[in-house]
This record gives sequence, structure tokens and C-alpha cells, in this order.
Amino acid sequence: MTERAHRPHPSLDDPSIAIEDVLRESIVDAVPVARTEREAEFYTLGDGEMLLNMGPQHPSTHGVLRVVLKLDGERVVDIDPVLGYLHRGVEKLCENADWHQAICYTDPLEYVASLFCEWAPVMAFEKLADVEVPRRAEYIRVLTGELNRIASHALFMGWFALDLGGLTPILWSFIERDEMMDMLAAVTGQKLLFNYFRIGGVNGDINHEFMSRLGDWMSRAGAQIEANQGLLNENEILVRRARGMGVLDGETAMRMAVTGPNIRASGVPFDIRRAHPYSVYPELEFDIPTRQEGDSLARYLLRADEVKQSLRIIDQCLHQMPDGPVMASVPRLIRPRPGRAWAAVEGPRGMYGTYAISDGTDQPFRMRIHDPSFVHLQLVSLLTPGNLIADTMAIMASLDPVMGGVDK
Amino acid sequence: MTGPGPHPAEDPATGATQEGAGSVAVPAGTTAVDVPIVVANQLWTPANPAAYAPGAKGINEDIEHLRDLEASGILQRDNGRWAAALEVVPTTADYILDLIRANSLWPLLSGLACCAIEMMSTATSRNDMDRWGMFPFRASPRQADVLIVAGTLTTKMAEPLVRLWEEMPEPKWCLAMGDCTCSGGRYKRSYSTVQGIDRVLPVDVYVPGCPPRPEGLIYGMMKLQKIVVDRRGHWPQRRTGPTVPEGV
Repeated sequence: MTERAHRPHPSLDDPSIAIEDVLRESIVDAVPVARTEREAEFYTLGDGEMLLNMGPQHPSTHGVLRVVLKLDGERVVDIDPVLGYLHRGVEKLCENADWHQAICYTDPLEYVASLFCEWAPVMAFEKLADVEVPRRAEYIRVLTGELNRIASHALFMGWFALDLGGLTPILWSFIERDEMMDMLAAVTGQKLLFNYFRIGGVNGDINHEFMSRLGDWMSRAGAQIEANQGLLNENEILVRRARGMGVLDGETAMRMAVTGPNIRASGVPFDIRRAHPYSVYPELEFDIPTRQEGDSLARYLLRADEVKQSLRIIDQCLHQMPDGPVMASVPRLIRPRPGRAWAAVEGPRGMYGTYAISDGTDQPFRMRIHDPSFVHLQLVSLLTPGNLIADTMAIMASLDPVMGGVDK
Repeated sequence: MTGPGPHPAEDPATGATQEGAGSVAVPAGTTAVDVPIVVANQLWTPANPAAYAPGAKGINEDIEHLRDLEASGILQRDNGRWAAALEVVPTTADYILDLIRANSLWPLLSGLACCAIEMMSTATSRNDMDRWGMFPFRASPRQADVLIVAGTLTTKMAEPLVRLWEEMPEPKWCLAMGDCTCSGGRYKRSYSTVQGIDRVLPVDVYVPGCPPRPEGLIYGMMKLQKIVVDRRGHWPQRRTGPTVPEGV
């Protein structure tokens, strides 16, 4: 039997060493060195507090988000999101691409509603290049965009219920979402990342398969949406838990530059389709649903109302759509005038914006992409403290961030 | 008492007598235990005495701890089916185990980007991967067989993903879904993406497309089932892909 140096922990022999102190020392050792005041404040643990890491691979963080939770028991004291796990360098890639090619890079930013990520840069480039878009192309953009908005909201309802513990709604919402994605695939040729909008119009006219699928779906859409919402709206478990959870008031929402359904659920009727009209939205009739409560339930119900408004818009588009070309005559190689352009569209999550600078060459000099998910993710550290861990993920789901847009 | 174990007081194989078991008295004045405390096994007889009898005569005198036993390689014959799948002749039971494995592939629920939406679409009602036994998406790598890498892998995410892969128990397989994971795809020229996950992981099946249709993912998973039944792909010595330069 060989001799072996056994070094048991000193607390085994010394009763004056409390195991709690030893554990706290080891936790403090694991904390990284603070680089900012905010980090120093975050990593200073009070009595009975601990840090918990969540992610980047976690089923309820909606992608590769990592959050560090500061906990007091089950209560969240503070929260620190860690970003960058999906940073793909899109803005830099756009600066090295042709004006036409840049659309392909912005397309997968928000992979749930990718038409809106194409729409904003396309509008900015059209302003720079002075391109007049045919009216039929504008109507097709609105039509496909609203379809994509419904698909995105359908997925939101499934995810929100999934984070609250219900598995069935996501199965139902994926049926509707796949139906709409198949419709769009009939027009665009792709199921998720469409790459459909071009500078000066759209890639192709709507075809017979799209129209027959859309008519089929529109005839049963109302009843189907009622059925899907009946699964959740009157569910006592969901309503009782989501009411009063993560309340965001209108003042804070405006101060934090929140847009989209999240600010409309806080009582501010801000919608870019009406505030800064673009495309053919001034010719269409629709309401801007608003709710006053500002909690998670209001954010969920407001998206349900928006789906009905989108159905109205689709119906009007089908009736008012003129004949004509869907693409202006745009050269393959464009060199816009030197200048700057900003364009913003109202997406299912809020304002998608693009700020493009041209220096007269065939490539963008600088492209800045504004994404609503990044703005909304800042709210997590405002809304979650004081809640339980399980509610943290539900509040995050009600804000509906998509990590592709956050990290770009 | 379970099993016909001899009384430890008269058992030379355990290497410790009743008296030795009681000799835990630490000399006064010292604060550390210098001699390991050995308590004799009085309850049952191990199938492999070397694992539980420190310094037993005639078995292996150098082994006195479980970790030494694992390092010595004596136990290799017990997990030979996993450790050297191609070196032993598979028996009928192994073929049956392979069939069971192939028909209940448990993927890890780890979506990275766009392809994750299509992966979820594959798992839900319309496409329903469950029909071919690729059923439950597990959130824990300890319970998963297949790592479906769905979406762009960035350099910051590469380290956690490799860690997830190493946490998965053998036998395990890796499926690269989408152009970004196969070769870099449309982000090939980016400064922050890994241009093909075979630079960091061994990949069994590549499913190209941006993103692939759910039918494409199901086809790839069926190819993976074929690989499992053919006993290809899950040997432990496997290296990462051909794009890894020498010395990395």
C-alpha cells in the first residue's frame, strides 16, 4: 500500500470554520473581476444572495441568450443579460456587398419575421437611389408582410404559453404558421428566409397557388383564430398568472424607446404605419389596438387583436390591388447619389429601421440596423426584479425578443 | 447480509480485518488524517474484487482506488462495446441494441439561429418527426443522443457548444443542419462565425439548405438511423473534420 498525501478540508478538523463561510468564499472566487460600476454593483452579493447562470443553451431563453440571475431564494434581485452569442457581423458584411446583395445579409436577422428585415433596407436604398416602386408591388409587400406578421404572432402565442408551462398551444400555432409559410413559399420560393423584396419592387408576382391557398385559409381564418385563442384567453391558469406580471408603464416605455406591441400594451398608441406612413398604408383602413394595463397579459391580448387587424388589411389588399408591373426598371449595378437615408417599418416586434450612408459607389459606405428586440431586451432587467425565476422567463417571452436581431 | 460473502475477519482478500476496520484512532495533537480510514465490507461480495479491495493480493497490488482501476484498463472488457466497437465481433444482442438505439434517437434541444425554427417545425404537428422514433427533444445533454446543430455557430458560442457535446454520453452522433453549419453558408466571409462546425465537432450527417425544409431534416435523421444500424460513426477515436489543419 503506497503512501498518499491526504489533505482533507480544514473545516473537518476545525469546528470554528463554518461551512457556509467556505461556500461563500468559493462563490466569490468564481465571480469575474468587475470592469464597470454596474458590474461591481451586480457582483456584490448581499446577505443570502447567490448568482445563477442560465444559458446560453436553455430552452426558454428563446435562442442563445445567457442571463446571470442574482437571487434571494426564489426571488430575482437583479438580472444581467449577456449578449453576443449570435453576433454574425451583419453590418460589416453589408458594407462589403453590393446594394442588391446586402438584402440577403439582413434577411436572417429576425428569422421569425424576415420580410420586415428586408423591407427596411430596401426602402432606405430606394430613397437613396430615387426609385419609384410600382403600386402593385407595394400592395404585394403589404399583403405578404401582414401574412408574415400573423405567422410571427402565432409563434409568439405558442412560445408564451410554452414558457408558462403549456405544451399544446405551440402545436396548434405551428399548424397555422406552417400553413402561412407554405403560402409565402409558393410566392417567394423559400420557406423561412424569403429574400423576396428587391430594390424597386418584389421578386415575382403572386401566383395561382398562393391565391388559392390564401383564399382557402381566409375562409376559415376567423374561426381558426377564435379556436386558438379560446385555448388560452379563457384559461384561468394563464390569465391569473400573467395579469399584473412585469408591468411596464407608458412613461418608462417611451423613455426606453420601446416600440411595437409592447408600447401599445402600455397605453401609447404609437404605430409607424400611422405615425410615419409608408407604402400604401394610408390607403388602407385599420385600427391601432391599444391596452392600458401594460402587463404580460395585455401584451399577449394586444397581439391577438393585431392579428384581426392584419386580416382586415389582407382583405382590403386583395380587393384594391391594381394590375401592373411588380418591378421597376432598376439596373443590376446601381450607384446611388452620395447621401444618407433612414427608413423604418412597423414589424411584429416594433420598429425595424435602417440607416444607410452612400458615398456614390456600388457598396454601402455604412449601414446601421435598428432592431426592436435589442431595445426590448433592456427591459428585462427593469421588469423582472422582485419576481420569481419562473416568471422571469415568462416576462421575457411576453416581450418577444429574437436573438438573431439582438446580436445582429 | 446479501450473498455468500465470507466473514471479513477471516477473509484475506479484503485485506482488512475487523481490527483494521476499527483502527481509526487519530493520534492526539494532529489535525489531519494521515492514514486512510478503511472500513471492511461486511455486506456483500463484489463481482470484481479488485474494484473494492484495496491492495488485494493476487489481483493487482497497485490498485487501491477506483480511479486507479479505471486508469489501469482492467475494466475495458466491461465497456468494450462502447470503447472499441469496431474491434470486437458484435453479437446478436448488439444488433438488437443498435435497432433500439436507431429507433429512439433523442435529440438535444439546442437551437442556435434560424434553422431552430425549422427544427421546431419538424418536431410539431405538420411534420411530426415522432413518427420515425426521433421523438423527445431533451433540454439536458445528459439525456440526449443526437446533437442537431441548427443555425450559425459563432466563435463565442463555439466553446459552450463543444462543452455540450462533451457532456453528452456515448454513443452520440452529430448532425449539421443548414449551410452555416456545413460550410459557413451566407456568413462565410464574416469575422465572427465558425466556417463549418466540422472545425470543432465530428459531424456524422450534413443537411445543407438555408434553411433546409423539415423534410430535409427528416431525411438526414433517417440517414443517421442507417449509420447507427450499420455501426458507423460512433467510435471514440474519431477526429474532427477534414478542414482541421495539422497541429490544431
